[in-house]
Amino acid sequence: MIPEKIAHFLESATVAMGGTRDDNFIPHAHRVSGWKMGPDEQTMTCLVAEGFTKNLLPSLEGNGHFALTVCEVPSHETYQFKGSYIGSRPIEQEDLSVYENYRKRFVERVCGLFGFSEDTVRSYLPRPALAIDFRVREIYLQTPGPGAGTRVVPREE
Amino acid sequence: MSVQLPEEIRPVLDNGVPAWVISCSRDGIPNTTVLSEVFFVDRERVALSFQFFNKTIRNIRENPHACVLLNDIEGCSNWLLQLRYDHSETEGPIFDEMDARIEAIASATGMSGIFKLKAADIYQVEYVERLECGQATDTVTADGKSGTR
Repeated sequence: MIPEKIAHFLESATVAMGGTRDDNFIPHAHRVSGWKMGPDEQTMTCLVAEGFTKNLLPSLEGNGHFALTVCEVPSHETYQFKGSYIGSRPIEQEDLSVYENYRKRFVERVCGLFGFSEDTVRSYLPRPALAIDFRVREIYLQTPGPGAGTRVVPREE
Repeated sequence: MSVQLPEEIRPVLDNGVPAWVISCSRDGIPNTTVLSEVFFVDRERVALSFQFFNKTIRNIRENPHACVLLNDIEGCSNWLLQLRYDHSETEGPIFDEMDARIEAIASATGMSGIFKLKAADIYQVEYVERLECGQATDTVTADGKSGTR
Protein backbone atom coordinates (compact mmCIF):
# COMPACT_ATOMS: atom_id res chain seq x y z
CA MET A 1 0.00 0.00 0.00
CA ILE A 2 2.82 2.43 0.80
CA PRO A 3 4.30 3.21 -2.65
CA GLU A 4 7.97 2.49 -3.28
CA LYS A 5 8.76 6.17 -3.79
CA ILE A 6 7.35 7.04 -0.38
CA ALA A 7 9.07 4.03 1.22
CA HIS A 8 12.41 5.41 -0.01
CA PHE A 9 11.44 8.86 1.23
CA LEU A 10 10.83 7.43 4.71
CA GLU A 11 14.40 6.14 4.83
CA SER A 12 15.91 9.54 4.12
CA ALA A 13 13.44 11.96 5.73
CA THR A 14 14.60 14.22 8.51
CA VAL A 15 11.86 15.01 10.99
CA ALA A 16 8.39 13.80 12.00
CA MET A 17 5.56 14.60 14.36
CA GLY A 18 2.68 12.47 15.58
CA GLY A 19 -0.82 13.69 16.34
CA THR A 20 -3.71 12.27 18.35
CA ARG A 21 -6.92 13.63 19.82
CA ASP A 22 -8.66 12.85 23.09
CA ASP A 23 -12.32 12.18 23.99
CA ASN A 24 -13.02 15.94 23.95
CA PHE A 25 -11.59 16.29 20.42
CA ILE A 26 -8.59 18.19 21.81
CA PRO A 27 -5.54 17.50 19.58
CA HIS A 28 -2.18 16.49 21.08
CA ALA A 29 1.38 16.58 19.69
CA HIS A 30 3.87 13.76 20.10
CA ARG A 31 7.49 14.24 19.07
CA VAL A 32 8.87 11.29 17.17
CA SER A 33 12.44 9.98 17.43
CA GLY A 34 12.39 7.54 14.53
CA TRP A 35 10.01 5.64 12.27
CA LYS A 36 9.99 2.66 9.94
CA MET A 37 7.65 0.95 7.51
CA GLY A 38 6.47 -2.55 8.41
CA PRO A 39 7.39 -5.56 6.23
CA ASP A 40 3.76 -5.77 5.03
CA GLU A 41 4.12 -2.24 3.55
CA GLN A 42 0.80 -1.30 5.16
CA THR A 43 1.87 -0.58 8.72
CA MET A 44 4.36 1.76 10.33
CA THR A 45 6.19 1.85 13.62
CA CYS A 46 6.60 5.26 15.17
CA LEU A 47 9.06 5.81 18.04
CA VAL A 48 7.52 8.40 20.33
CA ALA A 49 10.10 10.47 22.16
CA GLU A 50 10.67 10.69 25.89
CA GLY A 51 8.56 13.46 27.32
CA PHE A 52 5.90 13.25 24.60
CA THR A 53 3.79 10.27 25.65
CA LYS A 54 1.37 12.33 27.73
CA ASN A 55 -2.21 11.78 26.45
CA LEU A 56 -0.88 9.29 23.89
CA LEU A 57 -2.15 5.91 25.05
CA PRO A 58 -5.49 7.14 26.46
CA SER A 59 -6.19 8.84 23.11
CA LEU A 60 -5.10 5.88 20.99
CA GLU A 61 -6.93 3.34 23.12
CA GLY A 62 -10.00 5.59 23.21
CA ASN A 63 -10.45 6.25 19.49
CA GLY A 64 -7.51 4.71 17.58
CA HIS A 65 -6.78 7.69 15.33
CA PHE A 66 -3.14 8.52 14.65
CA ALA A 67 -1.56 10.99 12.22
CA LEU A 68 2.15 11.08 11.41
CA THR A 69 3.71 13.81 9.29
CA VAL A 70 7.20 13.17 7.96
CA CYS A 71 9.30 15.93 6.38
CA GLU A 72 12.61 16.13 4.58
CA VAL A 73 14.76 19.23 4.87
CA PRO A 74 15.95 21.18 3.03
CA SER A 75 13.68 20.00 0.16
CA HIS A 76 10.46 20.46 2.24
CA GLU A 77 9.07 17.23 0.74
CA THR A 78 6.40 16.20 3.23
CA TYR A 79 3.81 13.42 3.57
CA GLN A 80 1.16 12.80 6.19
CA PHE A 81 0.20 9.24 7.10
CA LYS A 82 -3.21 8.75 8.69
CA GLY A 83 -4.16 5.46 10.21
CA SER A 84 -5.47 3.26 12.95
CA TYR A 85 -3.66 2.28 16.12
CA ILE A 86 -2.64 -1.36 16.33
CA GLY A 87 -0.64 -1.47 19.56
CA SER A 88 2.33 -0.25 21.53
CA ARG A 89 5.40 -1.82 23.10
CA PRO A 90 8.57 -0.81 24.95
CA ILE A 91 11.62 0.22 22.96
CA GLU A 92 13.79 -2.64 21.71
CA GLN A 93 17.43 -2.75 20.60
CA GLU A 94 16.46 -2.61 16.90
CA ASP A 95 14.47 0.56 17.57
CA LEU A 96 17.59 2.22 18.96
CA SER A 97 19.33 1.61 15.61
CA VAL A 98 16.41 3.34 13.87
CA TYR A 99 16.77 6.21 16.34
CA GLU A 100 20.52 6.50 15.77
CA ASN A 101 20.08 6.60 11.98
CA TYR A 102 17.40 9.26 12.31
CA ARG A 103 19.56 11.29 14.69
CA LYS A 104 22.51 11.17 12.32
CA ARG A 105 20.39 12.46 9.39
CA PHE A 106 18.77 15.15 11.51
CA VAL A 107 22.09 16.47 12.84
CA GLU A 108 23.66 16.55 9.35
CA ARG A 109 20.80 18.46 7.74
CA VAL A 110 19.71 20.79 10.54
CA CYS A 111 23.22 21.95 11.50
CA GLY A 112 23.80 23.13 7.94
CA LEU A 113 20.41 24.77 7.65
CA PHE A 114 20.28 26.73 10.89
CA GLY A 115 23.94 26.99 11.86
CA PHE A 116 23.70 25.20 15.21
CA SER A 117 26.61 23.15 16.54
CA GLU A 118 26.43 19.36 16.27
CA ASP A 119 26.41 18.97 20.05
CA THR A 120 23.48 21.37 20.38
CA VAL A 121 21.39 19.57 17.77
CA ARG A 122 22.32 16.10 19.04
CA SER A 123 21.25 16.92 22.57
CA TYR A 124 17.96 18.34 21.24
CA LEU A 125 16.84 14.87 20.10
CA PRO A 126 15.21 12.90 22.91
CA ARG A 127 15.51 9.12 22.99
CA PRO A 128 12.44 7.10 22.10
CA ALA A 129 10.22 6.04 24.98
CA LEU A 130 7.54 3.95 23.31
CA ALA A 131 6.94 2.24 19.96
CA ILE A 132 3.53 2.72 18.36
CA ASP A 133 2.35 0.49 15.51
CA PHE A 134 -0.40 1.77 13.25
CA ARG A 135 -2.06 0.69 10.01
CA VAL A 136 -1.78 3.33 7.28
CA ARG A 137 -5.16 4.08 5.70
CA GLU A 138 -4.35 7.26 3.81
CA ILE A 139 -1.27 9.22 2.70
CA TYR A 140 -1.42 12.93 1.83
CA LEU A 141 1.13 15.07 0.04
CA GLN A 142 2.00 18.03 2.27
CA THR A 143 4.94 19.56 0.44
CA PRO A 144 4.27 23.33 0.52
CA GLY A 145 2.57 24.55 -2.64
CA PRO A 146 -0.70 24.27 -4.53
CA GLY A 147 -0.66 20.44 -4.47
CA ALA A 148 -0.45 20.30 -0.69
CA GLY A 149 -3.30 18.29 0.77
CA THR A 150 -3.70 15.97 -2.21
CA ARG A 151 -4.39 12.40 -1.18
CA VAL A 152 -1.89 10.09 -2.84
CA VAL A 153 -3.01 6.81 -1.19
CA PRO A 154 -5.63 5.80 -2.07
CA ARG A 155 -5.22 8.10 -5.03
CA GLU A 156 -7.95 10.74 -5.47
CA GLU A 157 -10.33 10.11 -8.40
CA MET B 1 -9.86 30.52 29.91
CA SER B 2 -6.68 32.22 28.70
CA VAL B 3 -3.26 31.83 30.25
CA GLN B 4 -0.31 34.24 29.97
CA LEU B 5 2.63 33.43 27.75
CA PRO B 6 5.93 33.67 29.66
CA GLU B 7 8.48 36.22 28.48
CA GLU B 8 11.06 33.53 27.67
CA ILE B 9 8.89 32.18 24.88
CA ARG B 10 9.32 35.35 22.80
CA PRO B 11 12.73 34.49 21.27
CA VAL B 12 11.47 30.99 20.45
CA LEU B 13 8.54 32.45 18.52
CA ASP B 14 11.05 34.52 16.54
CA ASN B 15 13.75 31.87 16.00
CA GLY B 16 12.78 31.06 12.40
CA VAL B 17 12.55 27.31 13.07
CA PRO B 18 9.27 25.88 11.73
CA ALA B 19 6.70 24.73 14.29
CA TRP B 20 4.03 22.03 14.20
CA VAL B 21 0.27 22.36 14.50
CA ILE B 22 -2.15 19.55 15.25
CA SER B 23 -5.85 20.05 14.61
CA CYS B 24 -8.87 17.74 14.63
CA SER B 25 -11.84 17.50 12.28
CA ARG B 26 -15.43 17.32 13.44
CA ASP B 27 -15.21 13.59 12.64
CA GLY B 28 -12.39 13.26 15.16
CA ILE B 29 -9.50 12.71 12.74
CA PRO B 30 -6.25 14.42 13.87
CA ASN B 31 -4.16 16.33 11.35
CA THR B 32 -0.48 17.20 11.79
CA THR B 33 1.30 19.80 9.70
CA VAL B 34 4.34 22.06 9.58
CA LEU B 35 3.85 25.74 10.31
CA SER B 36 6.34 28.33 9.13
CA GLU B 37 5.89 30.58 12.14
CA VAL B 38 3.73 31.37 15.16
CA PHE B 39 3.23 35.10 15.73
CA PHE B 40 3.06 36.78 19.11
CA VAL B 41 -0.01 39.05 19.36
CA ASP B 42 -0.05 39.73 23.10
CA ARG B 43 0.53 37.78 26.33
CA GLU B 44 -2.72 35.85 25.88
CA ARG B 45 -2.93 35.44 22.09
CA VAL B 46 -0.93 34.19 19.13
CA ALA B 47 -1.65 34.26 15.40
CA LEU B 48 -1.23 31.48 12.87
CA SER B 49 -1.03 32.17 9.16
CA PHE B 50 -3.83 31.15 6.79
CA GLN B 51 -2.11 30.76 3.42
CA PHE B 52 -4.00 27.93 1.72
CA PHE B 53 -7.49 26.62 2.46
CA ASN B 54 -5.88 23.44 3.73
CA LYS B 55 -7.00 20.73 6.10
CA THR B 56 -5.83 22.62 9.18
CA ILE B 57 -7.97 25.63 8.27
CA ARG B 58 -10.98 23.42 7.51
CA ASN B 59 -10.55 21.59 10.81
CA ILE B 60 -10.21 24.79 12.82
CA ARG B 61 -13.43 26.16 11.32
CA GLU B 62 -15.14 22.92 12.46
CA ASN B 63 -13.36 22.46 15.80
CA PRO B 64 -11.55 25.49 17.29
CA HIS B 65 -8.96 23.54 19.29
CA ALA B 66 -5.34 23.39 18.12
CA CYS B 67 -2.10 22.16 19.61
CA VAL B 68 1.15 23.88 18.61
CA LEU B 69 4.66 22.63 19.29
CA LEU B 70 7.49 25.17 19.08
CA ASN B 71 11.06 24.02 18.51
CA ASP B 72 13.78 25.63 20.62
CA ILE B 73 16.87 23.78 19.40
CA GLU B 74 19.32 26.20 21.01
CA GLY B 75 17.50 25.98 24.35
CA CYS B 76 17.15 22.21 24.02
CA SER B 77 13.42 22.31 24.65
CA ASN B 78 9.97 22.45 23.10
CA TRP B 79 7.04 24.62 23.98
CA LEU B 80 3.60 23.05 23.91
CA LEU B 81 0.64 25.38 23.43
CA GLN B 82 -3.03 24.48 23.54
CA LEU B 83 -4.96 27.09 21.57
CA ARG B 84 -8.54 28.03 20.79
CA TYR B 85 -9.38 29.81 17.53
CA ASP B 86 -10.99 33.21 18.08
CA HIS B 87 -11.23 35.12 14.78
CA SER B 88 -9.46 35.96 11.50
CA GLU B 89 -8.04 39.30 10.36
CA THR B 90 -7.47 40.13 6.68
CA GLU B 91 -6.08 43.64 7.17
CA GLY B 92 -4.49 45.76 9.85
CA PRO B 93 -1.13 45.76 11.67
CA ILE B 94 -1.08 42.08 12.67
CA PHE B 95 -1.90 40.97 9.11
CA ASP B 96 0.67 43.34 7.59
CA GLU B 97 3.44 42.22 9.93
CA MET B 98 2.68 38.54 9.31
CA ASP B 99 2.59 39.09 5.55
CA ALA B 100 6.02 40.75 5.56
CA ARG B 101 7.59 38.10 7.76
CA ILE B 102 6.17 35.22 5.74
CA GLU B 103 7.61 36.69 2.58
CA ALA B 104 10.99 37.06 4.32
CA ILE B 105 10.91 33.41 5.44
CA ALA B 106 9.85 32.30 1.95
CA SER B 107 12.71 34.20 0.35
CA ALA B 108 15.23 32.76 2.81
CA THR B 109 14.07 29.18 2.17
CA GLY B 110 13.74 29.39 -1.60
CA MET B 111 9.92 29.31 -1.47
CA SER B 112 9.22 32.88 -2.53
CA GLY B 113 5.91 33.28 -4.32
CA ILE B 114 4.50 30.03 -2.92
CA PHE B 115 3.40 31.44 0.41
CA LYS B 116 0.66 34.08 0.25
CA LEU B 117 -1.13 35.21 3.36
CA LYS B 118 -4.93 35.09 3.16
CA ALA B 119 -5.62 35.86 6.82
CA ALA B 120 -4.10 36.09 10.27
CA ASP B 121 -5.97 33.61 12.44
CA ILE B 122 -6.02 34.79 16.05
CA TYR B 123 -6.01 32.20 18.85
CA GLN B 124 -6.40 32.40 22.62
CA VAL B 125 -3.70 30.53 24.53
CA GLU B 126 -5.35 28.07 26.92
CA TYR B 127 -2.29 26.16 28.09
CA VAL B 128 1.48 26.50 27.77
CA GLU B 129 4.23 24.16 28.93
CA ARG B 130 7.97 24.00 28.37
CA LEU B 131 9.31 20.49 27.77
CA GLU B 132 13.05 20.16 28.21
CA CYS B 133 14.73 17.55 26.02
CA GLY B 134 16.49 14.80 27.93
CA GLN B 135 14.77 15.75 31.16
CA ALA B 136 11.49 14.06 30.48
CA THR B 137 9.23 13.57 33.42
CA ASP B 138 7.02 10.97 31.85
CA THR B 139 7.94 7.53 30.65
CA VAL B 140 6.12 4.37 29.75
CA THR B 141 6.92 1.15 31.49
CA ALA B 142 7.09 -2.26 29.92
CA ASP B 143 3.53 -3.01 30.95
CA GLY B 144 2.38 -0.03 28.89
CA LYS B 145 1.42 2.16 31.85
CA SER B 146 2.38 5.80 32.05
CA GLY B 147 4.42 6.78 35.05
CA THR B 148 6.57 9.51 36.51
CA ARG B 149 10.25 9.24 37.31
